Amino acid sequence: MALYYGSWLILFSPLFSFAVIVFGTRVWDLLSRPVKATAAQREEAHEESDIHYIKKEGPRGEEEVLEDDEDPKVPYLTMGAKASGYVAIVIVGLACIYSWILLLNTAGVISIAPPLPASGVTIFSYNWFVQPGGLVSYVITFRIDTLAIAMMTVVTTVSLLVYFYSQGYMENSAGYARFFAYLSLFTFSMLDIVFAANFLVIFIGWELVGLSSYLLIGFWINKAAKPAEDRPSPASAAIEAFIANRVGDVGFIIGIMILFANTGTFDFATLAGSGPHSVTHAFAGNLGLLTLAMILVFCGAIGKSAQVPLHVWLPSAMEGPTPVSALIHAATMVAAGVYMVARTYPLFLAAGPQALGVVAWVGAITAIFAATIALTQYDLKRILAFSTISQLGYMFVGLGVAGAEYGPGPGMFHLFTHAFFKALLFLGAGSVLHAMHHALHRETQDMRYMGGLAKFMPVTAITFLVATLAISGFPFFSGFFSKDTIIGLTFDRGDYALYIITLLTAGLTAFYMLRAYILTFGGKGGEFGGLWGGPYRGAAGVPGVPWGRLENDQGVAHEGTPHESPLTMTIPLVLLAIASIVAGYWFGFFSYVYPPAPVLNFGAILTDWKTWVGVLVSFIGLGWAYYLYCVVGWVAVGNVVYNNPLLNFLHRVTLHKYYVSEFYALLIRYGVLGLSHVEAAFDTYVVDGIVNGVAALVRGAGRDLRHVETGRVQAYMIGFFGGVAVLAILVFVLVTFVQ
Amino acid sequence: MDVATLLFWIVAVILVGAALMVVMLRSVVHSALALVVVFGMAAGIYLLLNAEFIAIVQILIYAGAVTILILFALMLTRTENINRDSNPTNRLWWLALIICVLVGAGTILAVTISPHAVAVTGNGSGQIPANINNVVRIGQLLYSPSSYSYVLPFEIASLVLLVAIVGAIVIGREEDQ
Amino acid sequence: MGLTLYHFVALGAVLFCIGLYGAISKKNAVAVLMGIEIMLNAVNITLVGFSFFNTVKPYSTFLTGQIFAIFIITVAAAEAAVALAMIISIYRKRSTVDVGEIDMMRW
Repeated sequence: MALYYGSWLILFSPLFSFAVIVFGTRVWDLLSRPVKATAAQREEAHEESDIHYIKKEGPRGEEEVLEDDEDPKVPYLTMGAKASGYVAIVIVGLACIYSWILLLNTAGVISIAPPLPASGVTIFSYNWFVQPGGLVSYVITFRIDTLAIAMMTVVTTVSLLVYFYSQGYMENSAGYARFFAYLSLFTFSMLDIVFAANFLVIFIGWELVGLSSYLLIGFWINKAAKPAEDRPSPASAAIEAFIANRVGDVGFIIGIMILFANTGTFDFATLAGSGPHSVTHAFAGNLGLLTLAMILVFCGAIGKSAQVPLHVWLPSAMEGPTPVSALIHAATMVAAGVYMVARTYPLFLAAGPQALGVVAWVGAITAIFAATIALTQYDLKRILAFSTISQLGYMFVGLGVAGAEYGPGPGMFHLFTHAFFKALLFLGAGSVLHAMHHALHRETQDMRYMGGLAKFMPVTAITFLVATLAISGFPFFSGFFSKDTIIGLTFDRGDYALYIITLLTAGLTAFYMLRAYILTFGGKGGEFGGLWGGPYRGAAGVPGVPWGRLENDQGVAHEGTPHESPLTMTIPLVLLAIASIVAGYWFGFFSYVYPPAPVLNFGAILTDWKTWVGVLVSFIGLGWAYYLYCVVGWVAVGNVVYNNPLLNFLHRVTLHKYYVSEFYALLIRYGVLGLSHVEAAFDTYVVDGIVNGVAALVRGAGRDLRHVETGRVQAYMIGFFGGVAVLAILVFVLVTFVQ
Repeated sequence: MDVATLLFWIVAVILVGAALMVVMLRSVVHSALALVVVFGMAAGIYLLLNAEFIAIVQILIYAGAVTILILFALMLTRTENINRDSNPTNRLWWLALIICVLVGAGTILAVTISPHAVAVTGNGSGQIPANINNVVRIGQLLYSPSSYSYVLPFEIASLVLLVAIVGAIVIGREEDQ
Repeated sequence: MGLTLYHFVALGAVLFCIGLYGAISKKNAVAVLMGIEIMLNAVNITLVGFSFFNTVKPYSTFLTGQIFAIFIITVAAAEAAVALAMIISIYRKRSTVDVGEIDMMRW
């Protein structure tokens, strides 16, 4: 049992590494940086890394400034910076090993400790505020059970691989140590969510991952927006992410409050149990209220996991560094919503069927919505972002249709496999972008400048292809098992509309993922019928691309050739590729996470007709993408689309993401800001009016009463004797008539 | 009606009429002359009240000195229309009228019809020893060092007069260049 | 009918009010002073009237009103002198004896 109780180390070790980096190694790094490089050092650095100085007109005349101030670089990393990286990686590595040990132990593969009880083990509990009467008790409690162990394994593994990858991706960056500090903070926050045993703690972690996401998306502080490419600045993308999460959190908090008000507790186990404080007891005659509460709790997941309508922040979040996109916006943070629903699954089951119905339908609508948008995007990371949104929709569909028979199993299984292949896709994209940046000396994510990269970057291309096939549900890759299970469940439950939607989305997913692969790595005229190599477009782009040749600020287009990324970046790719294939074969996942669920039967899967319908649909998608982009060629396809009015219209609508962001901007401008103008007017005219009015009243009274003092004696005598007259009357009246 | 009452009414009517003329005539010099009549009639009232000394003092001081003072002041502050409209009233004369009527009515009513007024006043002249006239009596009351007297206020009054003389000279002299 | 105290008090009150009217509503400074003199005379009449109708013993209090009237006459004369000196001085400075124009103590 000591094995379980020691797992608090997994939880708090990233926090420890954050503290060490922020107060130790980063300070060391900052103190040991050279003040200013000499000309000779600059010359040397110019050749080896990305430091390029250019002559520019500045406030003090012509001076030499960094070419790329958006992503400030240093000529070499100091020991302090490298140490930050090592500290983070070592600690997360240890945590990863520990969680794998836990996983293998509880799955029965190895046997170091006794098996975990079904209700989990409380590893840490702190009474934050407990009222003696027992009415209110806020305790910080961390608990592990099999669901948590599965999730923490995913989190720590992907974290470790991303940290390792960041060493190569963020090389020579000026904020290297800061990056690892933020990554450690994020890992801690995510583990807080995983280990949480009550709503309070999960909310703390919820907000902390939001904070870490904000810090990491906006990592490049000085980077400007690129409106020509429809890309916001990282700072505004970070704010957008935080606010979209916050909007979802409103519903989340209200849902938690409803639950707390009726049951008196936040604890998951107590709420899900059968005691006097459980939901079944407290909402006995009031099932509608419980359903409403659970739908509101799901609102938090809508915000965090970027479902429609709060999906707008995830494409913008691609402005952050690619390892961030891989870790946070593919594998872990956006999966926090799914995890939270899985955690509170007994509450969803206890509520009416509408709660899970809402979950499933929101997921389905999001899946197809995002899939249609991803069909026409040019930005590589944006396609992956919409793919993430779409796959998260799948996870929620899986959670929604599973019911009490399968529990959170199907949704969590798709989360499990998706984490690996999506992280792989993003890291592969990062490798591509890194190479393109080196080649073109200009940061771009547009696929129209790529093409045929497979012959320059073979490892990246192979792993990307593996991930593409996994996400498309190609047989015997991991996505095949997780996705088709969900699609089959929708049919088994009788939700034929959901079945059609999810099936269609699977086809669309296959199409756009292969399109992304071909446009980046292949092209018409390459080997294997266009799948490997082909024409490399480079800085010239596609003829007729709106902003022409890619030139830097000086009007020079650099025409280097891309090359494969260093080992620190390709090793994680390979490892993740292996995981993408193998992870699907853990058939005991459902029963591992939710003991009453049945074990997946490999043979039953192969013989089920629904599986092959799904495979057929994804083959249609793959085949159509292959035909369009390898056989017909991209330029020809583009001409057909632009010349056909209907296709052109659809293309434009999906390219602009159905104009949802523009709609929100209008809503905020006229709704929120309009209301704020009303309130500002109220404050200015009513509140300030009262305050200023009192002052004006006093001032006016003073101004008018001044005239009493005329300086003329006769006026004063009038006042004097007028008073005498009044007194005379008064005395007379009183004396005569009042006895 | 006996002689005293008749005399009283004649003197009183002339007195009040002259006072009204003081405040209502348009020329301020005419008002000053009416003021002389007022002073004279006041002396008559004093005589009716067995205050012969006061009556003489009134004529001497008021009708003599004060009147001359006023006339000299009018002469030295002569304006253009001294005989036509040199005694105007200001804008709030109506308010002054109301106030004065109220004060006067209040006083008279308070004294006459109020139930708290003293019911009986007698005539104390019978209690003075007959062979002491008014002047002697006032002299005794003003100067007597041994019995009850007002010698201290008298001395202070003389000081006041001194100060007034010096003050009037200082205020009224022309500034030397 | 016979004279009673009320006659003289009423006479004094009427005279006082006439004098008050003159003091309040006249513009000429000398006219104001004349109104004040009328007021003082009214007070004197009232005081001497009270002294005549006095029934309070002892004997020495009988003529208190007249003594009071003597002092009032004295002080009134002194005050008239000083006031008229002031009026002349103001006339020399401002060429006006309109009391409405002497308002330097206004706000």
